[in-house]
Amino acid sequence: MGKGQPSYTDEELLAGIRRGDDRALAHMYRQYLPTVIHLVTQNSGTEDEAKDIYQEGVMVFYEKIREGTLELSCQIKTYLYAVCRRLWLKRLAEKGRYGGRLDDHEPYLETGAEADLADAEERDRQFALMSEALVRLGEPCRSLLEGFYLLDKSMQQLTAEHGYTNADNAKNQKYKCLVRLKKLFFTQYKEEPLP
Amino acid sequence: MMTEADYYAFFDDYLNNRLEEPVRQNLERRLAADPVLAERLADYQRLTGTLTAYGQRLRLSDKLRAIQAEIDAEEEEVVETGRPEMPVMRISRTEQWLREFWHGHRATMAVAASAAVIAVFATLLGLQLWNTSNQPGSAGYAKLRLEVNQLKNARAKDRRAINQVINQLGVAAPAVQGKFSGTGFALTSDGYLVTSYHVIQGADSVLIEGRDKQRFRAEAVFSDVARDLTILKVNDRHFQGFGRLPYTVKRTQADLGEKVYTLGYPREDQVYNDGSLSARSGFQGDTGFYQISIPVNPGNSGGPVLDDRGNLIGVISGREMDVQSAAFATKSSYLARLVDSLSAAPNPHTYNLPKQNQLAGQTRPQQIRKLQDFVFVVKVFSK
Repeated sequence: MGKGQPSYTDEELLAGIRRGDDRALAHMYRQYLPTVIHLVTQNSGTEDEAKDIYQEGVMVFYEKIREGTLELSCQIKTYLYAVCRRLWLKRLAEKGRYGGRLDDHEPYLETGAEADLADAEERDRQFALMSEALVRLGEPCRSLLEGFYLLDKSMQQLTAEHGYTNADNAKNQKYKCLVRLKKLFFTQYKEEPLP
Repeated sequence: MMTEADYYAFFDDYLNNRLEEPVRQNLERRLAADPVLAERLADYQRLTGTLTAYGQRLRLSDKLRAIQAEIDAEEEEVVETGRPEMPVMRISRTEQWLREFWHGHRATMAVAASAAVIAVFATLLGLQLWNTSNQPGSAGYAKLRLEVNQLKNARAKDRRAINQVINQLGVAAPAVQGKFSGTGFALTSDGYLVTSYHVIQGADSVLIEGRDKQRFRAEAVFSDVARDLTILKVNDRHFQGFGRLPYTVKRTQADLGEKVYTLGYPREDQVYNDGSLSARSGFQGDTGFYQISIPVNPGNSGGPVLDDRGNLIGVISGREMDVQSAAFATKSSYLARLVDSLSAAPNPHTYNLPKQNQLAGQTRPQQIRKLQDFVFVVKVFSK
């Protein structure tokens, strides 16, 4: 647990994360990590696996908050536990080591986490497709779009980096790249049957 | 003619509110009327939205990894600097692997181990039960004191606990008062009797009752726990002596195959039973006892065993459980020796053992007719 850090209530943490306050995120991360490590290590997982699972769980939670679609009917701790529990069950099933039940040390409730996880899975699929589409897009479009959307660089910066004469040129290039990306992304997207 | 890229630029401006008001209204009208255009906008939004979200995801993932790295670093710091006196533990690669294996599979191993333990104990217990239920001659031995009341009090339980191997068999006989009963017989004409030690064990008071239903109060004067013998003395002012005893106590060992019989009170009435002397040792080779083939029951304990010539050769003590007609009787030679040692003790009582045998040469019913008045019910009362 954090050294000398003030403790936050769930409401304060939620408000902080909505604002995009990284300290709130870090605090929340620290606060509930031990529970999940315990869950995973007690159920034939390693600590590293526990950290992976926990990060995945926090992402689901965080993205739901940022989307503004989180309907939290319980404590953050319980929600995270439920999500990570589900994720770990899935991981165990993939590893073929799932014995049918987990040793729960936290109350395990229906938290709506299941539905949120289904959303998150769909989102993961889209991200995977996007990543593939970006690879197939080729240079210089890939670096331009990645720079703008993924690395949060400004158009001025990208203009300088890619040697465009002015920002408008860079912008026009960006739109052309987007059109190509769109074709790649949506053909894949439509090819893949929905699960 | 606008290219798709031009449209994207246009959408970008529109979505970021960089369009002039009339242009914006014009676009919105076109979007409402033209589904192709509307879908193009939707695709654009979905594409850029996914890209933006993907970017956020990557940044979030980096953030979380950074937080985790920070936590890990703090923990390592604690290990390294927090306890400098602790030696650093180094473990080999094999041990590392073993630890990981143990960590990953300990639940499974615990289940397997428990299953093994349960299987072993179930087998052992099962075999034990099977043995006790099937094999004759194992640890079952029943003393034959008759337990009168079905309700056993705590002291009765204590008694049972003392004789763990020896199982006391209790049978209810509601018409007889008292907690337990056994059989006793006269040793001397002036009021000494013999019974089994386990009959009067734990007694607060003892009554004897003869065939004529006359009752006398009695008390134990000496007990030999190992031989399961007790000498009682009638302690009652109405008592006037047993009269002349018709049998003698045999001091030597009886022979195998000798016809023997007993009189006792396994129920309210005197019961006769006969058989042979089967062995000169008792339960599990105890040489203080004979084995006799007389069917005996709870309440027979303490009864006299006589041979054909009317010699007392033993005192009924118990039987082997689940074995037909394997009763045990304390050898009379021990009774005689006990009496001798008591006579030789300081402050001796005088034990005038019967010297003349009146039963020899008589038929069995004649013998019994003479014997029956010297055999008593011993009733034991305890708190």
